Amino acid sequence: MNESILLIPVLLPLIAGLAVLAIRGPVRLAREVVTLVVMLANLGLAIYLFGQDLTFVHPWAGVWGGIAMEMALRVYQFSGFILLAVAGFSLLVALYSWKFMADRSYGNQYYGYMLISVAMVNGAVMADHLVVLLFFWEGLLLTLMGMIAIGTKDAWKTAIKAFIIVGVTDVCLMMGIALTGWLAHTLRMSEIAAHPLSLAGLGSVAMIFMTIGAISKAGSMPFHSWIPDAAIDAPLPFMAFLPASLEKLLGIYLLGRITLNLFALTTESWVSTLLMIIGAVTILLAVAMALVQKDYKRLLSYHAISQVGYMILGIGTALPVGIIGGLFHMINHAMYKSCLFLSGGAVEKQAGTTDLARLGGLASKMPITFTCFIVAAAAISGVPPFNGFFSKELVYDGALERHWIFYAAALLGSFLTAASFLKLGHAAYLGKRDPANEGVKEAPMAMLLPMIVIAAGCVLFGVYNPLPLHYLIQPILGEHRLEGHDFAGLPANWMLVAATVLVLAAALVNHLVGVKRSGSGLGAADHIHHAPVLSTIYDWAARRFFDPYDIGMAIVRGLSLFLWGIDRFIDWIYDSFIVTLTTGLGWTVRLAHTGNYSLYIVWSLVGAAAIIAFLMRIL
Amino acid sequence: MLSLLILVPLAGLLLLNLPFTPAMKRTAWAFAFTVALAQVAMVLVAPAAAWSQQGFLAQYFSFGLEAKDLTRVLLLAIGIVMATTLMVGRSMITDDRQQFNFVNLLLVSIIGMNGVVLVTDLFSLYVFLEVTSVSSFILIAFNRDLGGLEGAFKYLILSAVATVLMLTGVALLMLVAGGTSFETVAAAMKTSGGITISQMAVGAFVCGLFIKGGLVPFHGWLPDAYSSAPAPVSILLAGIVTKVSGIYALVRLATSVFPASGAMNEVLMVVGAASIIVGALAALGQHDLKRMLAYSSISQMGYIVLGLGCGTPLGIVGAVFHLFNHAIFKTLLFVNSAAIEQRTGTTDMNRMGGLGSRMPVTGVTSTIAALSTAGVPPLAGFWSKLIIVIALWQAHDYGFAGIAVLMSVVTLAYLLLMQRRIFFGKTSPEHAGVREAAAGVVVPELVLAALTVAVGLLFPWVLNTFMLPVGGIFH
Amino acid sequence: MAGTDTMDTMLDILLVWLLVGAAMATVMTPRILWSVIGLAVTSAVLTILMFRFDSPLAAVFELSVCAGLIPAIFISTISLTQRLSPEGMAERRREKWRRFGLLPVLVILVGVALMQVHIPLDFVAPPAAKETDVRNVLWHVRHIDLVGQIAILLGGAWGVVVLLKERKRAA
Repeated sequence: MNESILLIPVLLPLIAGLAVLAIRGPVRLAREVVTLVVMLANLGLAIYLFGQDLTFVHPWAGVWGGIAMEMALRVYQFSGFILLAVAGFSLLVALYSWKFMADRSYGNQYYGYMLISVAMVNGAVMADHLVVLLFFWEGLLLTLMGMIAIGTKDAWKTAIKAFIIVGVTDVCLMMGIALTGWLAHTLRMSEIAAHPLSLAGLGSVAMIFMTIGAISKAGSMPFHSWIPDAAIDAPLPFMAFLPASLEKLLGIYLLGRITLNLFALTTESWVSTLLMIIGAVTILLAVAMALVQKDYKRLLSYHAISQVGYMILGIGTALPVGIIGGLFHMINHAMYKSCLFLSGGAVEKQAGTTDLARLGGLASKMPITFTCFIVAAAAISGVPPFNGFFSKELVYDGALERHWIFYAAALLGSFLTAASFLKLGHAAYLGKRDPANEGVKEAPMAMLLPMIVIAAGCVLFGVYNPLPLHYLIQPILGEHRLEGHDFAGLPANWMLVAATVLVLAAALVNHLVGVKRSGSGLGAADHIHHAPVLSTIYDWAARRFFDPYDIGMAIVRGLSLFLWGIDRFIDWIYDSFIVTLTTGLGWTVRLAHTGNYSLYIVWSLVGAAAIIAFLMRIL
Repeated sequence: MLSLLILVPLAGLLLLNLPFTPAMKRTAWAFAFTVALAQVAMVLVAPAAAWSQQGFLAQYFSFGLEAKDLTRVLLLAIGIVMATTLMVGRSMITDDRQQFNFVNLLLVSIIGMNGVVLVTDLFSLYVFLEVTSVSSFILIAFNRDLGGLEGAFKYLILSAVATVLMLTGVALLMLVAGGTSFETVAAAMKTSGGITISQMAVGAFVCGLFIKGGLVPFHGWLPDAYSSAPAPVSILLAGIVTKVSGIYALVRLATSVFPASGAMNEVLMVVGAASIIVGALAALGQHDLKRMLAYSSISQMGYIVLGLGCGTPLGIVGAVFHLFNHAIFKTLLFVNSAAIEQRTGTTDMNRMGGLGSRMPVTGVTSTIAALSTAGVPPLAGFWSKLIIVIALWQAHDYGFAGIAVLMSVVTLAYLLLMQRRIFFGKTSPEHAGVREAAAGVVVPELVLAALTVAVGLLFPWVLNTFMLPVGGIFH
Repeated sequence: MAGTDTMDTMLDILLVWLLVGAAMATVMTPRILWSVIGLAVTSAVLTILMFRFDSPLAAVFELSVCAGLIPAIFISTISLTQRLSPEGMAERRREKWRRFGLLPVLVILVGVALMQVHIPLDFVAPPAAKETDVRNVLWHVRHIDLVGQIAILLGGAWGVVVLLKERKRAA
């Protein structure tokens, strides 16, 4: 078949998005319908393309320095899989948004940006040429900013913050791509994959730069600080759409391509250790922050950051089991995190708030939402037999093989995750009901359906995990990389499973103790919050001491003050110093002209004598 | 034909003053104006035959005149400036008798200047320089005010010094060469140009020319003369007299007659650079408009001499081009100052302000002239300065090139300051009622401004038609 | 012969000193009449020098114009003026002394300085075109200068008119 078909997943949503942006006025439902239809078509196309190996190449900007600039798109197992996932999630979120965004004024922009984002993500996923990838990657930046900015009134500040953070890391990605191209003498990913670059010398620098770009998109620390702010300011389905699912998919996809195709990551290289450290730190710090949040959405967003740590840790192990685990965790996380955000959205829509202090006892009022929440929360905590459990086990396995400290960190992270979700569930759905919430009803069907579908998926991918593993994940690695392992089915190492179950039980105990001490579900984590050293750290974190963005901005401010001083100095030289010098000289010259003609005659005679003498001496 | 350039004004001078034709007096101005325009037309459109000395006139008046390319450029400039001066003079000198005197003196002046550029003999050159100077002395003191008399006196005294130097030079050269015509002297210089006497003579003569041209450190008379002369006379002086007297002679002699030597070139460049610097710096703080323009003239002359001293054909081309351009834009600036003087009665810039809205033509043309002087593209001044700087650079005189460029900045500074003080800002109450200048002043402004812009825009054509042939004068 | 040459040179040098002395006196004396006489004497000495340098025609012109005609015009103009009062004269004397008191010293210094400058006169002067007839020289060889001369005369005439003639007072 024609390879140009690869252009459709990019062009169709793009054109539809631009059209929706342009629609004005009364034809309201038109944009929702257009969006849904396009998303359906996108999904259909993704299903069609899945499993195929197609490449579309078109010369684009000539040859620069021996490297061809082409428009190259490729669908193969990995990109086809991500394409399918993206299509699925975007359809579900679009369906959810129908009801959620029904009474918001900025529907045009929302759906428009959503469609364009899908186009950009499709393009980035399918890109086989690194510059094409960069192009779509950057395009996503604009829609990201747009979707945040349309939220609340002050949302544009968060939008700017997101833009700066992601923009800076995109520049790193750009530099990494440039270095990679220079080292490999080509920018086609499939060509580089034939001979992945070694990590000696500049190779590791290139990999670090590209990795920064990838993990920042995924939302890892230290590039994460815009996500919790966006959770408050942006419309909620946006959170389910971009940070929770699409960006994770995209970011980890690129990380996977980097470690598998572009560079030869081995267990001995320091880059692998660095990745694992980043992963572990992200897990712990993010979940510690999540634990003390008192807002549904912020809590979820910190968890999103934390889970990325697992993915990075897994891929960073450079072992087949870890990489498979990380990639599996990617798709699992996309599923349960978006389900959690959608449930939060349902609560927000029905109860009008996400402040945990004002929620409570909604289980009986919104049973289906509650059930989906339970499934998703169990999945994220790693409770068997949901999908999260299996992927986490694989990651634990890989981490432990590298060093026990990473395993311990991951395990501690699971403990805190479970504790945090116990607290969330209790605070929002169980316990005493606030009288203001008496009239709350279940969410409309259009919002429930996506939640149910995803929750079912979580169950499916857990119980029947050979399905995703065999068809989706393991083919990514390829036969010889897997070294004959098959990670489907039950986890191999029973010790790890026992440790997990123990940790979950401990979390439950901790939660019950906390409830007893503080008197409500909300305070279940307070004893951790107010623990001696931790409380100070939490305090600082609350005052944004640790926010790299704020630290960065403070440095920028200082630097700009310094540069302004230099500019003032240069101005002084031009404005004051030189002017004074010149006018002083002018004043001297003017004074010399006294008007006394005998003086002038003397000048003339002296000058003449000098000139004549000069001429005479030179013979 | 060439002789006509001298004889016609002379004849006119005699005829106009015959005692029994009072009616002639009224036609004096028209006659002079026609002569000036005819000169311009002659340079632009006359066929080649007109430039030779054949014809029936040659039998009676064979003067040994010659008009090569450099001369033609200057004849053009003389014609333009003379016409301008006549128009402004008619407008500003209201008394009929005074105007008649003025026209007559201008005729004397034109005889002198045409003679200077046409003769081929050193002594004749001196004679016609004196003719020009005599007419200038009287013109400067025309209004018999204290300032004018003082300016004329200073010019007279320093001109006398110049005379001493020049005659000494001529005498010594005659000793070495046996004659004073350009050919004789040039031939003699080829063989004995290096001996002490020759160098002394050349040095003395050149210093005399420096005084006439108003170059540093021989420039003492210039600011007083320019600023205290009546407005039309300043135009004449700045526009053409110093150029013809000083610079033309320098160019002509330095290139064809005197031996080309490194020492002479160095002298020219140092004097040129000194003129640029002193002129620009002194102009900065002036509050009298005409004085500032006088110092600016000194500065621009410096550029011309600097280009000349470079020694390369490109430098000569740049110098002559700048000479022509300077004639145009400095004349324009002085015409503007005449307009301002006519309407506000003062040239003190501190008392002016906001005149731009009241005198729009003057303001716009003044801006054009100022920008051209400072060397702002695409006006004419930019091209000539650029050529000079390029010539200096090519000759590895980087320091001088740097001075030229740096002082352009200072030039721009004081000219823009002048513009601002006079034309922008609040209108000072005492000049609230001024109108635009009279037609006699506005028309030259427009024509000169158009010329500056046209020469700048049509630079390639001008370069090929006029200037590059001039560059060939080495041969 | 050598003695005569030395005598000649000595006489010339003496005459030059006289010339310079007369010129200085012209400038330094406070009385205008004596200035004019000094001018005449300077020109007369110059005439003698010109005779000695074998230029009789130039000498005659110099004598008749500079030592005769011009002082005559000056003296007749001076006769129309009033004498200066004794205080005025004292004032002028002081003025002159102040301005030109050092003039003789300066002249001597410059003379001594110039004597240090050695000008080699060893060259072969080409034979100058000898033309003994003045009329020929003036009319044929240098006629362009005549035109210039006429122009200067006319210019001078206009100078007198412009600068010295009484202006009509505005009614």
